[in-house]
Amino acid sequence: MTNSIGEIRDADFLFVIGSNTSEAHPIIAMEMKRAVRRGATMVVADPRAIWMTTIAEKHLQLMPGTDVWLLNAMAHVIIEEGLTDDEFIAEQTENFEAVRAKVRGYTPEEAELVTGVPADDIRWTARRYAATPRAGIYYTLGITEHSHGTDNVYALANLVLMTGHLGKESAGMNPLRGQNNVQGANDAGATPVFFPGYQSWDDEEVVAKYEQSWGAPLSRRPGLNLNEMMKKAGSVVKGMYVMGEDILLSEPNVLALEERMNGVEFLVLQDAFINETARFADVVFPAAVFAEKEGTFTNSERRVQRVRKAVEPPAEARADWEIVCEMARRCGVDWQLNDPSQIYDEFVRDAPKFAGISYQRLETEIHDGKTGIQWPCPTPDHPGTKFLHQGGVLRGKGLFTAVDYRPSEETCDIHYGLLLSTGRTLYHYNAATQTRRESGLDVKQPEAFVEIHPRDARGRGIADGDRVVVTSRRGSVTVRAVRSRQVRPGCVWMPLHFAEARANVLTNDAGDAVTGTAEYKVCAVEITRAEEGSAVEGLFPGAYFGLDGPGPGAEVESEG
Amino acid sequence: MSERNLITLNGQDVEFTAGETVLEVAARHGLEIPTLCHDPRLDPAGACRTCLVEIEGWRRMPPSCATKAMPGMVVSTESERIARHRETLLSLYLTDHTQDRTEAESYGPDQLFEMADRYGAEQDWGAMETVRAARPGDRNPYVHFHPESCIVCARCVRYCEEVEGVSAITLAGRGSKTTIATVDELSLLDTTCEMCGGCIDVCPTGAMAEKMPITRTARPERELEKVRSTCNYCGVGCQVDLNVDTAANDGAGRVVKVTSPPAGTTTNDGNLCVKGRFAYDFVEHPERIQVPLVRGADGELRAASWDEALERAAAGLLGVKERHGADSLGFISSSRCTMEENYLMQKLSRGVFGTNNIHQCAAT
Amino acid sequence: MSEKRRAEIPERLEREGGLTPGAARRVARATGVPEAEVYGVGSFFHLLADHEHPVRVCTGLSCRLAGADGVLATARAAGLPVTECTCLAACDEAPAVLKERSVLPSVRPEDVERAAGDWQRLTASTLPQDGPWRGTVGPPRTDPDQLVFDLLGPQDLSGSAYEKALGLDLAEMLELLETSGLQGRGGAGFPAHIKWRTVSEQEETERYVVLNADEGEPGTFKDRELLLRRPDLVIEGLAIAAATVGARDVFLYLRGEFADPWQSLERHLAEAEERDLFSGIQFHLHAGQGAYICGEESALLEALEGRRGMPRLRPPFPAQVGLWGKPTLVHNVETIACLPAIVHRGGTWFRELGRDEAGTSLYCISGHVKEPGVYELPLGVTLDELVEAAGGYVGTLLAFSPGGASSGFLPASERTRPLSFGALAKAGSMLGSSGVVVLNDTVDLAWAVREQLRFFEEESCGQCAPCRIGTRYLRESVDHHRHGTAAEPLGKVADAAWQMNEGSICGLGQAAALPLTSALKHFPEAFGLEPTSDGDAP
Repeated sequence: MTNSIGEIRDADFLFVIGSNTSEAHPIIAMEMKRAVRRGATMVVADPRAIWMTTIAEKHLQLMPGTDVWLLNAMAHVIIEEGLTDDEFIAEQTENFEAVRAKVRGYTPEEAELVTGVPADDIRWTARRYAATPRAGIYYTLGITEHSHGTDNVYALANLVLMTGHLGKESAGMNPLRGQNNVQGANDAGATPVFFPGYQSWDDEEVVAKYEQSWGAPLSRRPGLNLNEMMKKAGSVVKGMYVMGEDILLSEPNVLALEERMNGVEFLVLQDAFINETARFADVVFPAAVFAEKEGTFTNSERRVQRVRKAVEPPAEARADWEIVCEMARRCGVDWQLNDPSQIYDEFVRDAPKFAGISYQRLETEIHDGKTGIQWPCPTPDHPGTKFLHQGGVLRGKGLFTAVDYRPSEETCDIHYGLLLSTGRTLYHYNAATQTRRESGLDVKQPEAFVEIHPRDARGRGIADGDRVVVTSRRGSVTVRAVRSRQVRPGCVWMPLHFAEARANVLTNDAGDAVTGTAEYKVCAVEITRAEEGSAVEGLFPGAYFGLDGPGPGAEVESEG
Repeated sequence: MSERNLITLNGQDVEFTAGETVLEVAARHGLEIPTLCHDPRLDPAGACRTCLVEIEGWRRMPPSCATKAMPGMVVSTESERIARHRETLLSLYLTDHTQDRTEAESYGPDQLFEMADRYGAEQDWGAMETVRAARPGDRNPYVHFHPESCIVCARCVRYCEEVEGVSAITLAGRGSKTTIATVDELSLLDTTCEMCGGCIDVCPTGAMAEKMPITRTARPERELEKVRSTCNYCGVGCQVDLNVDTAANDGAGRVVKVTSPPAGTTTNDGNLCVKGRFAYDFVEHPERIQVPLVRGADGELRAASWDEALERAAAGLLGVKERHGADSLGFISSSRCTMEENYLMQKLSRGVFGTNNIHQCAAT
Repeated sequence: MSEKRRAEIPERLEREGGLTPGAARRVARATGVPEAEVYGVGSFFHLLADHEHPVRVCTGLSCRLAGADGVLATARAAGLPVTECTCLAACDEAPAVLKERSVLPSVRPEDVERAAGDWQRLTASTLPQDGPWRGTVGPPRTDPDQLVFDLLGPQDLSGSAYEKALGLDLAEMLELLETSGLQGRGGAGFPAHIKWRTVSEQEETERYVVLNADEGEPGTFKDRELLLRRPDLVIEGLAIAAATVGARDVFLYLRGEFADPWQSLERHLAEAEERDLFSGIQFHLHAGQGAYICGEESALLEALEGRRGMPRLRPPFPAQVGLWGKPTLVHNVETIACLPAIVHRGGTWFRELGRDEAGTSLYCISGHVKEPGVYELPLGVTLDELVEAAGGYVGTLLAFSPGGASSGFLPASERTRPLSFGALAKAGSMLGSSGVVVLNDTVDLAWAVREQLRFFEEESCGQCAPCRIGTRYLRESVDHHRHGTAAEPLGKVADAAWQMNEGSICGLGQAAALPLTSALKHFPEAFGLEPTSDGDAP
């Protein structure tokens, strides 16, 4: 996030795209609700009529995977109507002309044909966004989990740069992190392309620094990202050490992965619960959970905050950091790290952006009425950074990147007539290893379901609550059908949390060219009624409204 | 502002900023005014009446929470009249409140009793049966409403509307029968409720209380140790207070409740969601892996000592490296783990095994 | 969601037949208001919340004195879907029974028996064959020039007062009002010209006029007669007010039990429209749904907006921040009905009609008098004069409430005190809505006190603790005293009453203890107490 969570409540225009905020980030949604209550205007762009649309001024219900068309058309309007911040563009950006030339062809009228969003709504949104000084963009995986996810982000960034909505409070570009410590894991260098603190893996100075610091020779060969590792599992990747992930539930096209996993010679798993991946493990280490260890998480707004030990882990379980230290020792290296604060100190020693942060400071300092410190924080007397790009874009000049629409890897055909998107619900979390073991959450949402528009359901003879088989080119799962007008006709939606009906059996593992992130958000499926079919009691879609709730489409629905 | 923003507060001239309420000015100057229905996140309601103060020239005592400071105002927060007001009001409250303090505090902290003690209110005005309706059939797993402890301050209702934005609960009925209800008195499960538990958090008397067995059977909150930590679910990084019964589990401790830090002190501003507030009893789950496991010759996982498991793991990974090279190893770290653990995992991958094949589920 | 859609909630729930299961959800869907909020609104109003009892017997003080208990018992025995209700504004025709939304006057047990168990056949033998029933009004029409309301006079459909008012500029109109000395007749007696001036001075130019016809103070029924007999005065008065303060929209909030006055108003509005008397002014009729508190002006505004009728904190006052946040002039029916006469005949004329205060007043009188009814007399007449107009006392005067339940009880010795705002305030009582209830010496005053306390307990909105808890606490204390079920049951009532007066948000709670404190002061023997020199009253 370029801004802080606390700035959201003061925004005047919120463009929420590809983010089911009230379910995936309830606390951020509260801040957004607060802004709307205060009088801010919100526009939600999402294929589903998610809860946030109920308080939005407009809902742009685009076809899945057509984000670039929508965003380029908005850019088209902003440029055409002279709403750009020319001073900002001239002083702080480069390559604007390429974008200007590119989006010329993206007219709102044609965008309407592709995205299904009325041209007038595109124009209205573009104008309001450009004309409102405190205008922020908020997005999550609805933007990134596409084969063209990077293009989507570029298209968003172009809007931000051409309007100059950057480097000030309550305006900016804000990806909302899905997990507690995505930010921290990346900060830490758990990625093939960066050493800790976003230092390039192929910067010889950096590599040399770490060789010196760690006292070991380091590889100059590029590493594989997660998607590549999964694709090459069994062929190239023969041994795995998996800490705290259930790759057999959360990775796309999971049946093909299972095949490949048979070729993995040795797998070490470290987790608090037995999961799907454990079926392939040679060794399983019992790990402590967050309440049983010390450390830090870094949130979406780059705020480093402490995790503290409240209770002892059960039986022989140990904290992950202890286990990894022990593994290093068994491999012949004694790091002499006996405490998370020592690890933190070692981390910041070589990572300048974090050099000013310490456990000591996290313990005692309060900034802006909030605990924790937001990096960048280069020195011990630096208060941390509330929002980025203040007084100039960080990399020097903001770079416009002209992008073209590319269809998703998979589109509908006569065999697979529906577009499936997957996502989270409020009541479960990721692979649900925790939430489905929590007694209350499972009551609210006990089984997997697929949301399908009544029109599509009727055409397939599917009643609300029927057991249905969802099939893609990669596999099929059986779930309950929920007839819902939250999804648009032609689209269906499934939560990704349920082990007995793994949505990722269906999803496409086609990855984004740059990040390798898989296309969880679009794949083609077909749905048929399963043998026995009966309405079920106590099935609660993770969504706000059931079948007959208000929302777009409630009136236009007609027989025929 | 050209003229200085000054009010007289208990005889002292003090400054205020435009828009500040008398309550806020007083709090900034360390003056305690009791409140029950006030919450900095909510629009002032002025309904609990505990915060009334005297203002020169005003016939009636206005609620300080809803009265904006104006230049020249002469405010008293202590006087014979105010003292009598507080005493009689609190005494009256207690006639319509459960008399059993132990039971009341088993639901949650009860500020009414604490306030009555602090302001010397008589507690012998008699007791009236509760006529507020409960919602006995509500099968939701988290929130239980104890009408006998409710003082109808409507903090829960206002929080649900103004902060959580779902308006799942409402004031219903009227007069002495006014209660907290859902539409058609349905279970919270069948309403727009998102189970954030904010109603519990803002309730001053424990009328809205946790229902989960692990909490319901726990000791009163003041006997628990609060450990400040960071929620382990999404990327917002809410600060949570893990309430620990330190004596449980033979001294290993047990998290029996999660509460949010006070509003205005952390990035989550005192708010939590259903997962952050309630989804913690997995910590105690019997399916937790208790000991290291290794795969035996029969193909099944079996218990092993740490020593054996670590040896097996190290030898196994080193063996793969030996046979196929360092880049045949893949290290998958986790955005669920701490920064420190991720740091060590990449250090292990790069520094010990010599490969850049290190990643985690970063995009999800 | 538009805030105006919220305003439809009460009416939509009424059309649903009240708060039946599923109704709140349907209305929520239609209006976009969260379903729990809709439920909260419906549950607040008796006529919506209790959808199972189309027949309601008023068990207010006057009706119980006139035999309401017998009617209720008969109805229950006959198996009618019946329940009790608080005052129906028909104390002059007691006991009154509500059938759906129409009030039946002077119902006898025989009337109930004749219905033979079918509530839809229930009627009152006193009902006229043609048109709605009306109460007694007086005194006889001797000199119309001395009357402001002239309830027995002909309706005036000329619109001439409005025409004349249009010829006055704002300053002249305000001066006229100030000269007239007109006070709000809803209870507080607040000078009308100040309210008008405040509304006119607001920067916001979208302004509203609201008619408070949610008459419900026990002992009061003058709005009913005014609306039935002289809707012309009310509508023309509203038009004058709207034109003066610059409002285009006028909202008329009638209590839901006023089916007949509603029709009277509707007929008159249609007629006025046909004659194009008040072009440019829109009149909007709204039905209350059964809540005494909505007679409190800020609670009324909440109800008009489709919310629970809970009074607002003041300041700001409705004249500054009123309906939908706009400056709003709220007046009682009687106040508004004074305007045509004031415009026609002048402020001085009006002021000099009264004795110690300006104008004539519509005094309602019920209880132990020969001819209960509405009497237009100079403001400031004494009880004796009023009762004389009403045909004289029945039995020996023991006590009286000069201005509804909220005014408490005064002893017979106060019979010569002027019934005016100022004079009654000096006696620790109030003129309120000038609903006078007379009790003779057959009445157990502790019982009468208990009945008034029960009224406030039923009608407290529940928002603030002093009133919500205090009204019940006092009623239970008196019950304990009467039944000997607690030691020293009245030990803390003075403290509780003090708290209610100091701590309550609105006038209901502030005055609700008065029946008890005034009785303890003036009639200690009714509670088995020794008379004291000063009494317990705050």
